[in-house]
Amino acid sequence: MPGSKAAERVRAVLEVAARIVDARDPLGQEARRSLEATSGLSPEGVELALTDHTETAIDGADMERLLTWAGDAPRCHVVLSSNVCTAAVRAVALAVASAPDVRIRPSRRDPGLAPLLARELASHPSFHENDGTIMQVNAIEARPGDVVHAYGADATLGDIERALAGGVLFRGHGTGFGLVFVSPRADLDDAAGAMADDVVAFDQRGCLSPRIALVAGDPGRGRAFASRLSSALTARAARVPRGPLDAATAAADASFGRLADAMGEAFGERDHLVAFFGDLAVPPLPPATRAVSVLSVADAASGQRAIAPYRAFLTTIGGDLDDDAARSLAALGGVRFTRIGQMQRPPLDGPVDPR
Amino acid sequence: MSFDVAASDALHARVRAFIAGDRADDFDALALELAAYQARAIPALGKLCATAGVDLGAASSADAIPALPTDAFRYARIAAHPAELDLRVFRTSGTSRGAELRGAHPLRTLRTYEAAALAWAEPMLLAAPPLAHAIVLVPDPAGVPDSSLGFMVGLFVDRLGLRATFTFDPERGVDVEAVAGAAERAAREGRRAIVFSTAFALAAVCDALGDGCPSLPAGSRVMVTGGFKGRSREVPAGALYDQAARVFGVPASHVVGEYGMTELSSQLYEPRFATGSGAIGVYRPPPWLRVSAADPATLAPLPPGREGVARFVDLANVDSVVAVQTLDWVAVDSTGDVTLFGRAPGAELRGCSLVIEDLFGDGDAGLEGG
Repeated sequence: MPGSKAAERVRAVLEVAARIVDARDPLGQEARRSLEATSGLSPEGVELALTDHTETAIDGADMERLLTWAGDAPRCHVVLSSNVCTAAVRAVALAVASAPDVRIRPSRRDPGLAPLLARELASHPSFHENDGTIMQVNAIEARPGDVVHAYGADATLGDIERALAGGVLFRGHGTGFGLVFVSPRADLDDAAGAMADDVVAFDQRGCLSPRIALVAGDPGRGRAFASRLSSALTARAARVPRGPLDAATAAADASFGRLADAMGEAFGERDHLVAFFGDLAVPPLPPATRAVSVLSVADAASGQRAIAPYRAFLTTIGGDLDDDAARSLAALGGVRFTRIGQMQRPPLDGPVDPR
Repeated sequence: MSFDVAASDALHARVRAFIAGDRADDFDALALELAAYQARAIPALGKLCATAGVDLGAASSADAIPALPTDAFRYARIAAHPAELDLRVFRTSGTSRGAELRGAHPLRTLRTYEAAALAWAEPMLLAAPPLAHAIVLVPDPAGVPDSSLGFMVGLFVDRLGLRATFTFDPERGVDVEAVAGAAERAAREGRRAIVFSTAFALAAVCDALGDGCPSLPAGSRVMVTGGFKGRSREVPAGALYDQAARVFGVPASHVVGEYGMTELSSQLYEPRFATGSGAIGVYRPPPWLRVSAADPATLAPLPPGREGVARFVDLANVDSVVAVQTLDWVAVDSTGDVTLFGRAPGAELRGCSLVIEDLFGDGDAGLEGG
């Protein structure tokens, strides 16, 4: 039965991932050395990504959803970007669920875990027994009937899709970011602490990373949240320092700080920046580092207006699951809705980005 | 605060005099005076100066002026005058998904912009021998009035009395047959032509024309601006310049790069036509525009020779902000010439997290709205 074989191949991927997560396993040690050299995260950031944000298990319901999403193709080609460093686990799991024969092209600059996964799966008994083959390639050569899973910037995805032959199914996963909505009744300290956990994971490099927070209430409440988020980030940085910044990100970070000085208020220290923009019409998009825009909104409707220019790029909303205002924001559609603090831990039920 | 039209008019007049070569004003003093006027009228700049603790009245160098990031033009109105006095608003280019947040540069008069554009294009691009035809591969200002690039090219066409063929349609792109037809007409009449193009359009047209384009008469030239960020293909500048020279039959020195942006009122040019030499990607600013490389971590101006992000002090930005901070990666030599490298190191490593260039598609170094 193809579905059960696909499920076994997914479990094989998760077995390899579990070894990668285990710091005592030689594979885990190799992964840490590799990611510390290429991911841009601090060693503590790599450890956090591996131990807290790497998929190693799946329950039956999620497996069913994943297999339903995956479909059934003879061959799956995976094009990875310089993504969050552990993203290859889910990408490979989706690929082996889609097809027995997987060809994977990692990012040349930041291959992440993809080469290790491909190498270990190639000699994994259960993977083979369930018809699985996998190899790392430099170029995609898809035939009609194949499926291509591609991750990266929208322009890159467009290039890849245009280059494909007819009859090849293309599934692109573009850029995006997460949003936090702090409900009127939310405890600001709790919300700030939880959001800091979502920010620190992957240093805001992921498409689930919460780059903007909308705080319901008057500007004083929004400012208080920004201040508490900054304090929470300071506390977390003591345990998990931010990775070093390249020149482009450093410049974008400095420029964002200057924007905050000009149009809002900056809270932060050397390793993070929280910018409070009062009730500005639209919150500026911060750079992909430990930086966050905080905006005060009167209610969910004004929150929807504030976020409208970014709507196509929203992947996930963190908020109070029982709050009507938060639920109405999540009704934007095509986004995951989860508790703040859990935004970087989506269930393994398909791509992290459901758009 | 009410708009002080007399103060603005007086500053415009002094800047135009500076552009015309009158050095009654010192560059730094005039820049600081402009910034002080702007800080009083533009809340974002006033707040930035206050937060940074900058006393513009006590400063002696334009380096002291805090440069406003170009992103500020997306999220707030950056103008000393009220919106009802806008004569023209230039907007940055952008993808359809980012249309609501295109940067806007409002102008209440175009006289200073025009003076700056013409005064530097004259020696760098438009000087004798005289031109007769313009083959325009950028937006027609009649159809796209918010494109600063289109406006500038339209200005050149009008002031030089060029016979212009506008070949760019925002929906359909460049009409290659119209380009070939205009080139053929210029060749047949033996009258010099200038091609105005973005790099992306030029690459597409050169590919399409191949050897099928008649050589333009001697003295003709090509102006190219912008890069390929966010585009489906990328052509190295050297290869593009060689190809353009071959397709249009002009010397390599007559293919000239222009570097400008919507948030500025002045432009830089590669001095290849003016001097007969000069490397591709090295741009010369006019005397009323000072460019510095700024430290990427602090945005403080760096000494000549160091690489950093481009900071502009443009005296022609009278009613917006005189100091503008970009993320373009440059080095500025001791003569003021600017080597443009494009994006800063590391920019290509950002992964699946949305960056603002992805949203707006206008991260091109030197790309004006169009």
